[in-house]
Amino acid sequence: MAITHLSFYSAFTLSSLGLAFHRTHLVSALLCLESMMLSMYMALSIWPAENQAASSTLMPILMLTFSACEASTGLATLVASTRTHGSDHLHTLNMLQC
Amino acid sequence: METTLLLNTFTFLTLMIILTPTLLPLLSNKLQNSPTITTRAVKTAFLTSLVPMMLFAHSGTENITSYWEWKIITNFKIPFSFKIDQYSTMFLPIALFVTWSILQFATWYMASDPHITKFFSYLLMFLIAMLTLTIANNMFLLFIGWEGVGIMSFLLIGWWQGRAEANTAALQAVLYNRIGDIGLILSMAWLASTTNTWEIHQTSTTTQLPMLPLLGLILAATGKSAQFGLHPWLPAAMEGPTPVSALLHSSTMVVAGIFLLIRIHPMLTTNQTALNTCLCLGALSTLFAAICALTQNDIKKIIAFSTSSQLGLMMVTIGLNLPQLAFLHISTHAFFKAMLFLCSGSIIHNLNGEQDIRKMGGLQKTLPMTTTCLTIGNLALMGTPFLAGFYSKDIIIENLNTSYLNTWALLLTLLATSFTATYSLRMTILVQTNFPRTSVTPAVNENNPTITSPILRLALGSILAGMLITSYLLPTKTPPMTMPTLTKTAAITVTILGIILALELQNMTHTLTQPKPNTYLNFSSTLGYFNPLMHRLSSTGLLNHGQKIASHLVDLSWYKKMGPEGLAILQLMATKTSTTLHSGLIKAYLGSFALSALIILLST
Repeated sequence: MAITHLSFYSAFTLSSLGLAFHRTHLVSALLCLESMMLSMYMALSIWPAENQAASSTLMPILMLTFSACEASTGLATLVASTRTHGSDHLHTLNMLQC
Repeated sequence: METTLLLNTFTFLTLMIILTPTLLPLLSNKLQNSPTITTRAVKTAFLTSLVPMMLFAHSGTENITSYWEWKIITNFKIPFSFKIDQYSTMFLPIALFVTWSILQFATWYMASDPHITKFFSYLLMFLIAMLTLTIANNMFLLFIGWEGVGIMSFLLIGWWQGRAEANTAALQAVLYNRIGDIGLILSMAWLASTTNTWEIHQTSTTTQLPMLPLLGLILAATGKSAQFGLHPWLPAAMEGPTPVSALLHSSTMVVAGIFLLIRIHPMLTTNQTALNTCLCLGALSTLFAAICALTQNDIKKIIAFSTSSQLGLMMVTIGLNLPQLAFLHISTHAFFKAMLFLCSGSIIHNLNGEQDIRKMGGLQKTLPMTTTCLTIGNLALMGTPFLAGFYSKDIIIENLNTSYLNTWALLLTLLATSFTATYSLRMTILVQTNFPRTSVTPAVNENNPTITSPILRLALGSILAGMLITSYLLPTKTPPMTMPTLTKTAAITVTILGIILALELQNMTHTLTQPKPNTYLNFSSTLGYFNPLMHRLSSTGLLNHGQKIASHLVDLSWYKKMGPEGLAILQLMATKTSTTLHSGLIKAYLGSFALSALIILLST
């Protein structure tokens, strides 16, 4: 596997593991989510540069737009949870717990 | 002289005379039945049945008559055929004579009963069924008679139906008879499927028959004739009135099983295993009943066990391949056993319902006729030389001693013979001699001819019957003529030993020696522990087994555990392990998300 592929895959995987196994704060999950987005953006950007396929240079821009929306949603959730529970600790999101 | 025509006519006439008191009330409303009509009908039937007997004794006329055929299946014939041979012609007058005497006695015994006419019609229906059984040549007719006597026995034992013991005794009789009926139906089915006939004279072969039908017939005889294993109903049947005990459970019904074996004897002759079974079963029954009779205190129960013991002796005779001697013993036994029951009935009624022999005594002075006949009956039972019982019992024991057979059976039968003498003498001494031990002085009066003439008639029969029957009937097998002196006098020797034993026991009573409860006394007085063991163990075992199979196994186990509930339990196991994961927390969900992504990555 080429070095670029390895670095992007490992960055993405490490970020997703970081999303899954974060400990206390919701903001760390959001940060990992952002780093996933970052690695995907960089991969999508290098991809048409490598293949010289000009029509797929649009893709990272699209992804960026959607990632911005999603980041804002995440931040809104963070703010809402801080407003209601007083912190962004993850154990406060326990409405489903029996 | 047209002997067959006379034979047939008079037998038919006898049967019609017996049927008349039952049919007359159906014909017209004005003709009502009454005890005297029934008694007179049976007496007339007895007189007309003497003609076939004398014809047979004179010229040996035998006959098989088929009246009507029940055409239900094309290749299986069920004719209603009657066989008038040695056994039928001899049994008919004897049964009718005994029944006539018993009916005459019952007009006095049951005089205070409001349903006396129904009682007499029941006895008559029983007699019809018994005679059907006797002259049947067909297993089908025999089965009709067999079931008829079983039903009438049930109705008559439970005559005083307000008594709980009478109802349980009647139920016991029906259940034990039913177990025997299984054997009879088994044999009938085997005969129908293998030999394609139910006629008894068509079943005799020279080759050996397989054991299955013979065992079925032996089982039927065990049930009906109260051999060991199916015997408890006979002492319990003493709950019925004394005329019922005299007719059914001494002379006629209980010999039906032995009679069946006599009828099908050609089938048994070739199979030595079946004969040995009869021999050992009969020997065991006779000794067991004699042991139980030793410690009984109820006069009717002593006579009942004595009947059971004599039935065992008849079974032993069948096992010796001597049906004619068994029939001879049936005939002589009918006389003295019926007389013993009638005497006991007279004693019981005169003492105002007292049946315990420990509370009787000194009756020789107050009831001379009854007690004399009681003594005659007991002597005939013991086999006193030249009374009725001697002619049958002595020759049976001589044959037993000179045959090649099982020694154990021989020893048991000899022991039972001596015990017969013991308990008969004990009963005689306790009832008749010494001072009266009744609680209050009862008004004993036997001056009624309805009491004395039946008993006297039967006493005459007990004395003469043996001699008369053996003089006129030729034996079909040669009796043993030569034997050592000890063997010849074996029967009388063991009887005398039994008498000495009884006198010794009586000395114990005089010296007020208290009998200590020891093993043998317990065994004898609880009838060999058979009743509580079998009645409780077998029923609880069966019910337990049934519950285990039906309820536990099928219902609970297979329908519930293997079905829905088992499935639910399996699901519960899975859900319990996965509940910890379903905590409602985001962390867990994210962890499972990562895990599944990892698995997918690794697997592709």
